[in-house]
Amino acid sequence: MKRVIRFRLNTRLYEEEVQDEALALDWIRSTAGLKGTKEGCREGDCGACLVLMGGRAADGSTEWKGVTSCTLGMGDLDGRHIITIEGLAADGLTPVMEAMLDEGASQCGFCSPGFILALTGFLVSGVSIDPVAAMAAVEGNLCRCTGYGSIRRAAATLCADFADLPAGLAPRLALLASRKVLPPELAALMASPPEALGVAEAAFASIHPADPARVTIGGGTDYYVRNPDPEPDTAPRFSDQAPEARAIRKALVSGQAILELGAAVNTDDFFSSLLVRAMAPGIERFASDIASPPIRARATLTGNIANASPIADMTAILIALGARLVLEGDPGGERLVELPDFFLGYKKLDLHAGERIRGIVLPGEPVMFNFEKAAKRARLDIATVNSAIAVRMAADGSIAAARYAVGGVAPVPLRLKEAEALLIGKKPSAALARQLGALAYEAGSPISDVRGASRYRRRLMERLAWAHCIRLWPELRLEEELLA
Amino acid sequence: MKRNPDSIVNVLGKTLYVDDLPENAGMLHGAVVLSPSAHGRYSGLDESKALALDPSVRVLVAKDVPGQNQLGSAVLDEALLAEGDWHYHGQVLALVLASSRVLARRAAARVQILGREDLPAVTDPREAFKRGDIILSPRTQRMGDPEAAYKDCALVLEGRVESGGQEHVYLETQGAIAWPEDSGGARVISGTQSPAATQKIVARVLGVPMNRVEIETRRLGGAFGGKEDQANGWAALAALGAVKSGKPVKVYLNRRDDMLATGKRHPYSSDFKIGLSADGMILAFEADYYQNAGAACDLSPAILPRTLFHAAGAYRVPNVRVTGTMCRTNLVPFTAFRGFGGPQGLFVMESAIEQAAAVLGMDPVEIQRKNLLKTGDSFHYGQDVEDARAEATVTRCLQKARYETLRAEITAFNAAHKDLKRGAAAFPLCFGISFTKIMMNQGGSLVHVYNDGSVSVATGAIEMGQGVGRKIAIVSASTLGAPLASIRIDSTRTSTVANTMPTAASTGADINVMAAKVACDEIRKRLIGVAAARLGVEPSAVALEAGRVYLNAGAAATGSEARRDAGLSFADLVNLAYEQRVDLSAHGFYATPGLHFDMKSEKGHPFLYHVYGCAVISATVDTLRGSYQFDDAFIVHDIANSIDPIVDMGQIEGGFAQGLGWAALEELKFDDKGLLVSNTLSTYKLPDAHFMPRMDVEFYDKPNPTVVANSKAVGEPPLMYGIAGYFAVLDALKAAKPGKKGFYDLPMTPEKALRFLADDEPKEQGS
Repeated sequence: MKRVIRFRLNTRLYEEEVQDEALALDWIRSTAGLKGTKEGCREGDCGACLVLMGGRAADGSTEWKGVTSCTLGMGDLDGRHIITIEGLAADGLTPVMEAMLDEGASQCGFCSPGFILALTGFLVSGVSIDPVAAMAAVEGNLCRCTGYGSIRRAAATLCADFADLPAGLAPRLALLASRKVLPPELAALMASPPEALGVAEAAFASIHPADPARVTIGGGTDYYVRNPDPEPDTAPRFSDQAPEARAIRKALVSGQAILELGAAVNTDDFFSSLLVRAMAPGIERFASDIASPPIRARATLTGNIANASPIADMTAILIALGARLVLEGDPGGERLVELPDFFLGYKKLDLHAGERIRGIVLPGEPVMFNFEKAAKRARLDIATVNSAIAVRMAADGSIAAARYAVGGVAPVPLRLKEAEALLIGKKPSAALARQLGALAYEAGSPISDVRGASRYRRRLMERLAWAHCIRLWPELRLEEELLA
Repeated sequence: MKRNPDSIVNVLGKTLYVDDLPENAGMLHGAVVLSPSAHGRYSGLDESKALALDPSVRVLVAKDVPGQNQLGSAVLDEALLAEGDWHYHGQVLALVLASSRVLARRAAARVQILGREDLPAVTDPREAFKRGDIILSPRTQRMGDPEAAYKDCALVLEGRVESGGQEHVYLETQGAIAWPEDSGGARVISGTQSPAATQKIVARVLGVPMNRVEIETRRLGGAFGGKEDQANGWAALAALGAVKSGKPVKVYLNRRDDMLATGKRHPYSSDFKIGLSADGMILAFEADYYQNAGAACDLSPAILPRTLFHAAGAYRVPNVRVTGTMCRTNLVPFTAFRGFGGPQGLFVMESAIEQAAAVLGMDPVEIQRKNLLKTGDSFHYGQDVEDARAEATVTRCLQKARYETLRAEITAFNAAHKDLKRGAAAFPLCFGISFTKIMMNQGGSLVHVYNDGSVSVATGAIEMGQGVGRKIAIVSASTLGAPLASIRIDSTRTSTVANTMPTAASTGADINVMAAKVACDEIRKRLIGVAAARLGVEPSAVALEAGRVYLNAGAAATGSEARRDAGLSFADLVNLAYEQRVDLSAHGFYATPGLHFDMKSEKGHPFLYHVYGCAVISATVDTLRGSYQFDDAFIVHDIANSIDPIVDMGQIEGGFAQGLGWAALEELKFDDKGLLVSNTLSTYKLPDAHFMPRMDVEFYDKPNPTVVANSKAVGEPPLMYGIAGYFAVLDALKAAKPGKKGFYDLPMTPEKALRFLADDEPKEQGS
């Protein structure tokens, strides 16, 4: 669909008619003519096309994130500010570029703009400026030449040079401008993104059963992987990224505390939410298991669910947390569906014609939570299998409640009720872990594919069940017995 | 000028790769239609839906080729465009042109294959071998008599070793832009490592002599061997499209097409037999390498001998018999990749040592150390070992890694942990430098000094991030006596320097720096003549250095009179020469001396010198999940005199990363029907920053007098250090399963690791 949107690219404000579904990467390179943004994979896996995107955060403040422009639709740029390498380089070399140069961190150079943008974004938005955090910020960027040694040295130099960054966005932008990390003219514009021209639509419809071509996308991080050259007549509609759709709220329903998650809550929003962290203490440590920083900044929870991948990490996590979906019908009717029940078959959803996902509801009671993911590469990889567990303990040390989710062993993400039944009422032990493992081993009907053989998936299921027990009750040192 | 000017353009985002060059109005974009299975026949293509999409769409097939529809070089067995059948998944059936790339891709998706009939596909090289489907003839190299030697061995072991393929993942995918010429030929900007080879293929496809085709290569966004032979087809397709349409045509692959349609590192399946004395001396080694060559010959005949040359690794083995066979399968034609067959052979030898050590109850490092090559030994291909640096680098690396302490720490750690086990391994490197095909060891240059004092140096070298341009600039500047900042490395064009060789085999700097130096020496001689005449002194009294002319150049030696600035800058002198009608241009040519090899006896002197080094890598395995991480990599690398330490450090760390990826992460997977299933970056994982261990690299800097600037080639050798990564993980796995026999099936993956830990059968239904 064509429509007029308002956005800023570097220092220039555009009010421009764009093809909604067109990739920002293509627009930046072909229409704007800025060739420093590179196409390396066109599926969000290499970071060569990484740009910085500014816009409104869930709390209404301005946020800056690195995003992959190859999974970003033009329709989503309304009210946003994009920075490319040309914007950073407007006044010549910046300290980030100089650090890369001095360490020889740019060899063939194809990945360099992406790394420089990611590291600059880290200086703009990073919470703790240290080398570990800096390298975590480039976990969405691949370099095939350097082996990353020189990039690590450059990142360490930058962290030493910019250890004193202030906390707030405005003072930080001012400092970064004064120290030439950002051209001053650009920095002056970064605190306030442009106003969107489009009308906010505060709901998310995943797949339209009556018209499968008409999808609404969340962040686009799945959609564009499957549609790298989208046909103009299959134009997706864009879910609203307005602050209220990204809100995570606590509510009381019949005296019970619940968490309500808006349709556009993305992975970053979820893991950084204090409400989520209070409900599942320590859950934020699993954020780095999911995709990469630029993908987490865009991938929505509802999109991850609606994409219906049997191996979706966030879906497994949400199943264990007891998520229900709020589905809104066209006439305004509403129903709640348990998340596991939403998946009817491979990529088949319990979504009626005209229905859309309006949000997610989580029980509010605190749980002990663990997430396990087995993948070939520890970062930015799709799981071979994954599994999540949430338990509550009774006063006598037995398990009072449990939810157990597994992915990658069936056409749909599974909730293993048998596993839950096994756990409830029992005290954790190596024997119980073994029973749980045996049960998980038999779960589903895993297939063999590029990510692993069926037998490997079964073995992993057993081992991840053990891992859950070891991690949930570390004081029991179950590994001693399980691995004896 | 500490910073590499090439890199400055890179970090500013201003480097123009193939797809970044300004597009001419009317330029057409090409997309390819690829074969959908590993082996099949078809009766034709239905282009109607593609043509209906847009008036700009045009579909080109084999019959549109005006010259020969042939990409092969060693063997003419590879069609540019399929003719009624296909032999691998991803073979090009048609080129679709349209006014935009997205349109071309959509149109290509609408081309229908008519009368498709899939045929049985062979993916296993041993199966191809059994059927007699081999390319050319097997090659065997021998020294001594292994059969006889086994009688004296305390231990004789046999085993099978597998190593997988590897996708290059140069971040810039393959591409070319062609402009039609009124000669019937074309001018092509190509992302190739070998412009002269590309020129030859384009001329052949267009049916014109080579002098009507110009290839220019500016700079590649990575190549690693993947753009040596494999770039030719895309340039030829662009040229074909340009000549047929009369318009400029750009062919630039997206990642999926690139991964499907282009060759990768060869998978190998090998058998070995090793014999050792009771104290771990290797007395005999035999191996049979079944090279999975894929569906066409490509560079396989050049790659196979490098496997044979490196069969015995960095070790002195008195009795050797190694045989390699190129097996034709229904997979993409496998091709050059950094290391060029070397890593596959080296992994077999290291596997044999690891197994032998287990049986002898020794640390593999002990066997490695005992058998290192020494000066005066002989390689099994007849070359004498000169200036051996194996012991020096290995000793230093073990010291650097505190190997004894590390072993003790690992033992203590493993005793204290059940869920984590640590392991370590060393890898001693010896890698021969020179193209193994002797005629390829030549290179040319053309140097122009402009009358403002600026210098343009053109060679056959392709800059792809390895810093060859930087090395050429440094040596050219010092040879000419010009300021480094005055040197510009020109793009590589077939009309500037002809008949060049690919920038490959780690020889890019050795050969092209020398070719540039020859030309610069010539110009320097002329300039010194001009200066001497002007200053009224003998030429021997004049020196040119860093942009200034000095008098009494020999003064320091004779002690007669102090050296002094003659009051002339390099630019002044150039202008003087220009006014005096002195030629300020020169062509240089270099052919590596002393190389010879007799293919019949498989003996000779194929390498100018060898690069040595050692890596010690440690890893930690999660015994519950089978996952692992690499902790530390200590590397001592024989760089000799480094022309540019930052460039060389980048080559060592970067090469090692690719080797570690090959050894312990990157899994090129075909299904049993021969379809490539790891065909995107979401299914094919290469090292990211998190994957890489801490790296501590030290240069072993003893000068190498056999080449320019006493340096050593650095491109390929460090890749092999990754092999230690495989064995570090295996060492940790064996700590969890004491006494269990190892497995030799590279790459290591968490899946294989967990299978080992859980005692699962290696092959089961549906695996």
